Amino acid sequence: MMETVKVFPSGPTPDAWIPTRAGVGLKAQHYANVIEQRPDLGWFEVHPENYMAEGGPALGYLERIRMDYPLSLHSVGTSLGSHRPLDRVHLSRLKALVERFQPGLVSEHLSWSHGRDWFTHDLLPLLYTEASLQNVVRHIDEVQETLGRRILIENPSSYLQFKRSEIPESEFLVEAARRSGAALLLDVNNVYVSCMNHSWDIAAYLAPIGAELVGEIHLAGHAVQELEGFTLRIDDHGSPVAPAVWELYRLCIDRFGQVPTLIEWDSNVPDFAQLMQEANLAERLLIPTAETLSHANPG
Amino acid sequence: MQILADLQRRFCDALRAPETPPEELLAELIDDGHALARFDVYRNNFIVLNGDALAEMYPSVQRLIGAQAFRLLATAYVRRHPPRERALLLYGAEFAEFLREIPELAALPYLPDVARLEYAWTAAYHAADATPITQAEVTRAGTETLASARLKPHPSLRLIDSRYPLYRIWQNNQHESDDLVSLDEGPSRVIVNRPGRQVEVREAGVGEFVLMRALHAGGSVQHALAQAIDTDPEFDLSDFFSRRLFDGTFVAINNKPKEE
Repeated sequence: MMETVKVFPSGPTPDAWIPTRAGVGLKAQHYANVIEQRPDLGWFEVHPENYMAEGGPALGYLERIRMDYPLSLHSVGTSLGSHRPLDRVHLSRLKALVERFQPGLVSEHLSWSHGRDWFTHDLLPLLYTEASLQNVVRHIDEVQETLGRRILIENPSSYLQFKRSEIPESEFLVEAARRSGAALLLDVNNVYVSCMNHSWDIAAYLAPIGAELVGEIHLAGHAVQELEGFTLRIDDHGSPVAPAVWELYRLCIDRFGQVPTLIEWDSNVPDFAQLMQEANLAERLLIPTAETLSHANPG
Repeated sequence: MQILADLQRRFCDALRAPETPPEELLAELIDDGHALARFDVYRNNFIVLNGDALAEMYPSVQRLIGAQAFRLLATAYVRRHPPRERALLLYGAEFAEFLREIPELAALPYLPDVARLEYAWTAAYHAADATPITQAEVTRAGTETLASARLKPHPSLRLIDSRYPLYRIWQNNQHESDDLVSLDEGPSRVIVNRPGRQVEVREAGVGEFVLMRALHAGGSVQHALAQAIDTDPEFDLSDFFSRRLFDGTFVAINNKPKEE
């Protein structure tokens, strides 16, 4: 019963590979800092949907920055988990950006945003059943076929659970990756947020995930919302990474090995220096010898 | 698949609905006593994420009516006109029309025009790139050919006319200025273009505006100039030939017969 899994190349030319270092999500307000200062950062990541314009300066800035850094495309608009068919126009735009910018990694979320004939622009929670799994795998296949390369699937942050769900989230994620040949983007903040929100055991969540599947890690800040009698953690990418998430990141590095790690900060965007600080913190945990190395090899 | 489809439709309907408990969806959620509060995170995200995109596109409208009023309007707009595109870059195309229909805004009749201008700004920012025509191309074409030719406008070119002093209102809201603009200042015609990296917004005289509109609609240079002079006998032809022709407003000289 095992279906053949296509093996896609994970990236284009070696110069595009995402190094095992820290990167940050590139924000429009930081274009000038990055171009003028060429900060010592491993890589950048952007949402391709923000560059699906016919032209204009944003594409020009990204092109300029891509000359100096490897780039990862992190899609938010594919709606892999939607019951509706994928949008061929969106996929062809994504493919055009992949061809133009030669990203080292391409990723998308395990979620959906297209349930009616309009878009929520929020990453909505998926029903975890066998039928839903088959649907998502079909869609991952379609994206990988279109792009001609392997993509990474990110674990979501969530605030509610459906009664009809039958498969634990991380098992669903691993099975989707196994059947489609995709890799995983492990968002450590999302693991923490979802596990806290649903009283899931973090160790049990991580247990089914094999190290060979994890190709990228995300870190971000979250908000804590105190409601009557209970607490919800909201994944808003609007603050520094929480201490408990740094702790979990350390554990994930031990478990999954050294994986390229991205700092996401999308609301209340800080100045570039503070973003660099977060990236440096991540890099010190990711590569414990980084400091010694950079002293040994100045420049 | 039917179950998945039903659930996702129900989820979307509940997201878009006003603040009543979505009983049909709640029946699908694990209930720990907080199911509604949990769902409300998504309802709030839907309104806030898309409302933020509107606020980013319409900063002057927001400044003119205040953040709180803007948020209320944005919420109503997001529910009535949820995004139809996967990219949010140009979300909010119907906002000007939407504002026009709000009775409470009747005292600010210029507001929809400010919204039209702000939408044009963002549309120009993301429009296709193109290379301006050069002096050499014009010389090569020759005066006679140029007169009967049509000029292809830059893909970012937008023309906006308003019964109100739109340009001054917009400009005052670019620099936190508290200067007062009197509506008695009268109509304003605004040209938005992005020849390079910067979006340019400028006020045009009535003659120039008529000229641009005729050229934009595909009329010949001769025809457009005649219209301009007709409307505004003092229209300055030399400014057009010495400057506008080469400043990035136009990207090609087309002397073939009209196709469309």
